[in-house]
Amino acid sequence: MAFTLYSLLQAALLIVNAIAVLHEERFLRHVGWGSDQGIGGFGEEPGIKAQLTNLIRSVRTVMRAAISARHFQSILPSRTDSV
Amino acid sequence: LLSPQPPNAGYRMAAPRMADPHPLFDDTSAAGGGGGGGRPTGPGLRGSASQPVSSLAVVYGSSLASQGRDIVGCNLDRLIPVGRLKYYFAVDTIYVGRKLGLLIFSFVHQDWQVRYQQDTPVAPRFDINAPDLYIPVMAFVTYILIAGLALGTQNRFSPDSLGLQASSALAWLIVEVLAVLLSLYLVTINTDLTTIDLIAFAGYKYVGMIIGLVFRLLFSRTGYYVVLSWCCLSIFMIRTLRLKLLSEAAAEGVLVRGAKNQLRMYLTMAVATAQPLFMYWLTYHLLR
Repeated sequence: MAFTLYSLLQAALLIVNAIAVLHEERFLRHVGWGSDQGIGGFGEEPGIKAQLTNLIRSVRTVMRAAISARHFQSILPSRTDSV
Repeated sequence: LLSPQPPNAGYRMAAPRMADPHPLFDDTSAAGGGGGGGRPTGPGLRGSASQPVSSLAVVYGSSLASQGRDIVGCNLDRLIPVGRLKYYFAVDTIYVGRKLGLLIFSFVHQDWQVRYQQDTPVAPRFDINAPDLYIPVMAFVTYILIAGLALGTQNRFSPDSLGLQASSALAWLIVEVLAVLLSLYLVTINTDLTTIDLIAFAGYKYVGMIIGLVFRLLFSRTGYYVVLSWCCLSIFMIRTLRLKLLSEAAAEGVLVRGAKNQLRMYLTMAVATAQPLFMYWLTYHLLR
C-alpha cells in the first residue's frame, strides 16, 4: 500500500486549498454558513455548524498568505522559463 | 634529568587521559596542573608555556559546545515538549506486562480511573491506567519488522518495502489522530486529553496487529480473524474514553439525555469502531 507521508502531505495541502477557496459572499451566504449569520448566543456553547463556520473562516484567513506565496512561487519559475 | 621531562609534558598535554607513568599524578583537570605537583619547576615552566594557550582553547571550545547545546535545547523545547515526553516514558517492566495484559484482556479490569497526584497525572510506572508512549513506539517498530517478515515469507520483500510500510503506518496514525482532534474540536468537548495521549491510544492498536500477524503466520487465516476480533481494542477504547470524553453523569452509567451527550457517545463509539477497521486495513495486505 503506497500511502506514504508525502502523499499525506499532498492530500492535506489539497484539502486546505479546497477549504480556502470557499468564497464567503458568493457561496457560503447562500448555504447559510456565512460567518456573520447568527452564530448563537454568547452564553451557550456553539454547535457544530458554528464551529465549522469558524474553522472555515480561520483556515481562509491563515492560509491566504501561505497560498499566495505558494502561487507566486509556482508561477515565477514558469515565467523565467519562457524568457 | 631535565631533558626527558618536556617530551613527557608534551605527551601529557596531547593525551591527558592516557595512563600516567606516575600514578600519583592522576590528571583530570584541563590545566594539567596535576602533573606539576612533584616536579621541578624548570621544565614545568617550559611545559606551561603551551599550557595557558591550550587550556584557553579547551575552555573556549567547551563553552562554545555548551552554548550550542543550549541553543539546540531551547529551540527543540519549543517544538517538542521534551519534559512532557519524559512522563510518557517513565515505565518499568511490571507496568509494561500489566498493560499488555490489559490491552488483550480488557474485560477483567474494573477500575479505569487515572489516579492524579495534586492535579497532575501519576507517572505510568505507578498507575496502570495512565497512557504511555513506550508500548506504542515499541509495538510500531515490532510491527514493521514483522511486516518485513511476513513479506519475506511470500517473496515480496525488498529493503525499501520496510520503509514504505513504516511511512504508510505512520501516515495512517497521523490521519487518525487528526481526525479525532478535529472531531473533538467540532463537538467542543472540554477534556484533558492531550495530543500525545491520543497518539498513545492510537498506537496501542499495533499490539493487536502484531499478535494477529503472528497468529496468521503460525496458523491459518481463520486464526487471524479470530485473534484480530479478540484483540481489537474496542472495549479498551470505550472504557478509557468514556471517562475522558463523556460527562460525569454519563460516565457512571446514568442515562443522560441531550444532543451534546449523544454526540460524545457517538464520538466514543466511532473511535472504538475505527480501531479494528484500522487494524484490519493495515495488516490484510501483508498476508494475502
